[in-house]
Formats: sequence, structure tokens, C-alpha cells
Amino acid sequence: MAGKAVAQETVFALRETIARMEGKDIRAFDGSDDRADNIAALRDKRERLSFGIDVLDQALEGGLPLDGLTEIRTSAMKDASAASGFVLAVSALLQNPKEKLHELTVCGLPILWIADRLAVLEAGMPYALGIADFGLKPQAFLHARPRRLEDALWLAEAAAASGAFSMTVLEVCGNLKHFGLTESRRLSLRAKASGRPLFVLRQAGEEEASSADFRFLVETAPAANRYLTDGTVLGGSIGHSVFRLTLERSRNPAPFSLLLEWNSHDRRLSRVHAPAKSVPAVRPSAHSGPDFSALVDRSGVAAKLGTRLAFDRAS
Amino acid sequence: MRLVNCDDEAARLGLRQGQGLAEARAICPNVIVIDEDQAADHRLLEGLADWCDRYTPLVALEGRNGLFLDITGCAHLMGGEAALLEDILRRLGQMGFEVRGAVSSSPGLSWAICHYGGNCIVSDEDREEMLAPLPVAALRLDQNTVAALHKLGLKRVADLMRTPRAPLARRFGTEVLLRLDQARGDDEEPVSPRRPVASLSAERRLADPIQSEEDILFVTRQIAQCLLSGLQARGAGGRLFELVLFRVDGQVSRISAGASRPLRDMDRITALFTERLAGLQDHLDAGFGYEILRLNVLHHEPFENVQSDLAATDHKQLSLSTFVDQVSARLGPDCLQTYQLRESHIPERAETFVSAIEALPLDKQMPRALQVVSRSERPIRLFRMPEPLESFAAEIPDGPPTRFRWRRLTHQVARAERPERLSPEWWLDDKQAATRDYFRLESTAGYRFWVYREGLYDRDPTQRWFIHGLFA
Repeated sequence: MAGKAVAQETVFALRETIARMEGKDIRAFDGSDDRADNIAALRDKRERLSFGIDVLDQALEGGLPLDGLTEIRTSAMKDASAASGFVLAVSALLQNPKEKLHELTVCGLPILWIADRLAVLEAGMPYALGIADFGLKPQAFLHARPRRLEDALWLAEAAAASGAFSMTVLEVCGNLKHFGLTESRRLSLRAKASGRPLFVLRQAGEEEASSADFRFLVETAPAANRYLTDGTVLGGSIGHSVFRLTLERSRNPAPFSLLLEWNSHDRRLSRVHAPAKSVPAVRPSAHSGPDFSALVDRSGVAAKLGTRLAFDRAS
Repeated sequence: MRLVNCDDEAARLGLRQGQGLAEARAICPNVIVIDEDQAADHRLLEGLADWCDRYTPLVALEGRNGLFLDITGCAHLMGGEAALLEDILRRLGQMGFEVRGAVSSSPGLSWAICHYGGNCIVSDEDREEMLAPLPVAALRLDQNTVAALHKLGLKRVADLMRTPRAPLARRFGTEVLLRLDQARGDDEEPVSPRRPVASLSAERRLADPIQSEEDILFVTRQIAQCLLSGLQARGAGGRLFELVLFRVDGQVSRISAGASRPLRDMDRITALFTERLAGLQDHLDAGFGYEILRLNVLHHEPFENVQSDLAATDHKQLSLSTFVDQVSARLGPDCLQTYQLRESHIPERAETFVSAIEALPLDKQMPRALQVVSRSERPIRLFRMPEPLESFAAEIPDGPPTRFRWRRLTHQVARAERPERLSPEWWLDDKQAATRDYFRLESTAGYRFWVYREGLYDRDPTQRWFIHGLFA
């Protein structure tokens, strides 16, 4: 009997180890023991980035885990800029400490952007002034353009393992033959071991099996309007960027999609419920004078305006 | 076709330099003729010069078939001048070269004795004696001068030594006297080495050649340990290291690796070369193994002994610089880059890329003054080369396009923001550079572009539109 109990205990311990390695909920295995609290505490210790949007945070079980692989995908190359924008927004959130994020260990560390040559040709390089406008520090932004995919994978792995970056982004184009489940699992384990987030930004790619915790599909959406100080919409203006984010892969099976707006001044993502309606520009004429032009032949003289102060002397 | 050079056997048969090939064939029908290839000869000589690095770091090429080795302070390492000369001659002889060598206190005398004497070592006392019986050609004079001297009956160096100097100089110029003085050691003649001399270097000679990568790294680590005391004495750390591998068959490989901050630690130096060797992969052919390994410090900088603070911020910096070193050693220093902002309002000129290895620590750059306020928002991704787009309709004269085609997709513009007019930088650009009017556009589907129209409508009514960047 005792031997059987010991064997069972061993099996539980092994399962638990496996589950922890895979980042699954461990309580399911061993709810009766008082070890469960212990494990739950461990699980809660996992650093997460909270977006401050309840629906999204709930779907992500409390926030985006910072010790794992996250995949962000676009269905076509034309969405590349939206996806880059979302990744940069997340990195801006990570890099710039807010009060509630103070305990994150990754604050203030640089970002590494590893770009595929093809992606750079298709969508251009991240632009220093642009990312500064977007809320990031360009001096803490490193980028690499390795010639081969093997080099890119090695670079991503080494960067995640070094712990020197608050976030590592690996941008690839399409579904590559040599970047499959094995490689993604390897990257994921490396990110878990070092506790640093790793993002795979897959431009114009299909859904495929990977060991990422979450996969998002990012599409572009019409930007928000700019508002004037009196609350009216500035016509024809393009305000903060808006993305449509679809959570494609998570433990929560419900499909989930929402519109997010990035405010680069506040460095804050907020939810938008309906896409902005574009307001046509009201073009006021360049002159602030009367709307009608002066008569050409001067047949009628416009009445003088104003108050007459003194009359001519009568005598 | 003429003979450029011939070996001893051919000389005995009566062939000589400058002889016509037909004549040579007539004298000896089965003569083996090889076409002259000066470039290959030069490469061979450079290879030999590399090989000679094992004796001294100061090796210079001399003419088409000679090498000068400055062995000042090096001879004792090889057991004295005689042993060194014998070692060089024996090893090169084993490789199949016909070599002559001489050691003396001036390059001129060594040259003269090599070419017109035997392999010997000339001490300072009997310099004159050795030089006197040699022909005047031994003084490295050009052929015309030698012929003229011969006509006057001055055939030996001794004749020149006895002749009064003033008439010689008047007749032949200062060249003859300069060469004579150089050979006698009265005039200094610098030997300019091929390679810059390393500020520090350490080497290990192995009795048994090594081939495997692990062995090379193991020995490198040991050598790096030897360098430590030298670096400490200078208060410096190395920024650029070079590992010189002497292969058994005479081939020499040089592998250099840079670091982002001054290094002393042997583990980190070894780590640099670990990545470097991994990056080289099959390009390094170990052949039958390496017999001498040398580690040079090509560039060093003051090493700052920083006391780590409690927040351990420099720990972060350290791990970043370790990573940068690792990547630079493996994928080259230009693979990992960061931005440097420049004062320019032309979008593509406002940023430059600098390799991360030079930019560390990251917050040292970026002057504050670059915060330009009066400009519109910039795109997050910028094309290296603006891509032309086809605009179907645009507001005349200064308005944005209303419909355009880019990459075979037609976009209907829903919103457009401001023209931002950027004039060319006349102090850099030529007259062709045109003014650009930038617009932020959003298509009905929600894609945001940064496009510009080149030129002014008044001067050039053809509207040329380009897309320069993408907004998030």
C-alpha cells in the first residue's frame, strides 16, 4: 500500500512539473492538498502586464504574461503597420513605468527588434522620430537585420536568455518552413526560463501551431477623431491610432475581438466601442472677411458700418 | 618573351635573366617555363611575411622577393641571433624555398650580404670588412648608376669607401652616398612594418598542433590569462582583440573580435572568440592543426573599476554589453544597430544607424536640443526609398490625392491632414532636389499613409506622388 502511495505521489509531482513547464493551471491536478495554495501563489507571481481594460485582462487571465512567447499575426502585409503599432504600444507600456507597473522588473530596459529582410523591404524600418512620437525612447531601441533565419532565431533566443531587454520582437514574413513548432517551443522555453517577454510578429501569415501562450490577430481600423477644446470634432483630422485586436489563441475558447485606441501622450490603450466616423473637413475660406465678394463694377457701394461720432459743422 | 628569373640548375646551363625564351629553348630544349604572375608572387611573399610574424611583429616587405625582420629584442626568445637565423632558414628550406639570410645592425648591410654574400651574422666591429669586398650593386643602386660606376673603375664597395665623397655626390647625386651610409650603419633607415604593432600580445607555442575548436578556445583562455597582468599594469582593458593562428603548414589566420566596453576578464575574452569561431563555421580550415596561437590587443582603453551600486543598474548594462559583444562577434558588428538622431528636417536624414557596439552605454548619446516642436507626427515605419504611387485625382494646386494606387491596390482617401512643406537642404542638396509637401492620409479601410508630392505646382504641374511611411 505504502509503495503504491509513494508511486502515486511521484506521478503527481511529475505531472505538476510538466504542467508548470507548460504554464498550465496546476490546481486542477492537486486541488485537495495544501500544496495547492503554494502553487497558486507561484502562479500569481508570474509577471503580467495589465492593459487596464477589464475585458481584455480577463481574457488574458490577468494580463499579458511577461515570461513567455506571444504571437501577433496579420493576415496581409497591408496590416503590417497596425501590428507594428500594437507591438510598439505594448513595449511602450512595458518600458515606461506607471505607478501600478512599478514592480515590473523590465522597466527601463531597451527593446530589441529583430526584423526579417523581407519585412523591412515590404513595410520599412521602424523610424526613430516616429517611435519617439509613438511614446518610446529611440535611444533604447535596438534593431537587427540578420541575413538568415537561423541567425534571427539564434539572436532572438540569445536576447531572451540574456535578460538585457524589456522585450524582444522577432518579425517574420509569412509561415516559414524552418520556423515551426520546434523552434517556437524552444523560444518559448527560453523566454520562460529568463522571465522576459518575446513577441513573434508574423506579417501576412496563416494561423499555425506554435507554443505561444496567446496569439492575436491585428487589423487596422479608422483612427479616432481629434477633438477641439470645446468638445467638437475637428473635421478631416486623423487622431490616435486604432487597431482591431482579435484573440485567436488562448485558454479561453470564446472568440474575442475589440477595438483599441493608443494614446501616445498618455501611453495608454483604451477600448473603443464603435469605429470612428470620419467627419469631412469643413473648409472655411481663407479670408475672414464678408462671404460675398465686392462688386466688380462698383455700381453699389457697401454701406459703411459703425457709429458716426461727429457730424460736420452745419454752418 | 623573356626569362624573368631562373634557378641554379638553369644558370649552370647558361640561361640568364632577360634572355629571350627562344634562345633559352635553343640552349636547353626541355626547359620548363612558367608564366610570371606578379600578383601571386606578392601573395606568396605576404603569406611568408605573415608566417615570419612568429619571430617578430615587425615584418616589412622588401622589393619583390625579400623580407626585412626587425628582431631587436626578439632574438633571445629564440636562443640568440644565430639560432634564430638557422631556425628561419631551416624551416623555410623545409617548405621548399631557397632562402638566404643575414643578421646585421642595418637593413642595408643585411640586404647586401644576403644578395652577394652568404648566410651569416655580422657583428658591429667587422661591418666595414664584410662590406668592402662586395660589388657596388650590393648597395641597392639602380642599374644605370652601377654601370656608370663600373665605367669609372669603381667596382667594389671598398673603391667607393676610398673615393672622396664630394666628387661622388657631384657626379652621381646623393643616392650613392646615402646607400653607402645606410649600409655602413651611419645613416638610420627605418623599416616600416606591414601591420600595426599590437599594444599587448601573448602567445603560446605548442609541441603538438591542435585542431579542434575546444582546444583552440582552451588555449585562448590560457593566453588571455597571461594578458591580464599586462592590462592591469596599464590600467586598461582591450576593446579589439586579434587571435593569430599559425598553422603547421605555414598558413596564418587572423580572427579579430571587438568588445563594446574594455575587457580584461579571460572568460569574456574567450566568450568573444567562442562566438566568433561559431560564426566562422567552416571558413576556418584547421588542416593539420595550429602550432602557435597568439592573442593581440589591437586597441585598448582605460578600464574603469566601477563600484557596483545597490540598485545594480550596472549589472543590467553589463548583461546588455555582454549580449552586444556576443552578437557582434558572431554576426558582425553591423548586425545590431541603434538610432542616432541628427539635426535635419528631411525625414530620412534625421536618423542614422550606428552599430550598437559603438553606441553603448545607450543613454550617452542624443542631445536634448533635437526636440523639434514645430513638426507634425511622424510615421512609425519609414521606407528607405520612397515608393512612387499613382494618384488618380488630387486637389489642385496644393491638396492631397483623393484616390491613389500603391502596390496594385487602390485606396480611396477618407481623411487627409495638412500639407507639411519641407524644403530641401540647399547646403547639402543640389539644384535637382525638390520641395516636398507631406500629407497624412487615411483610406476608407483605415490604413494610414504618409505621402508626399514632389515639386511645386507652379513650376511643375505634373504631380509626382510618393509614399514614404506608414502610420500605426
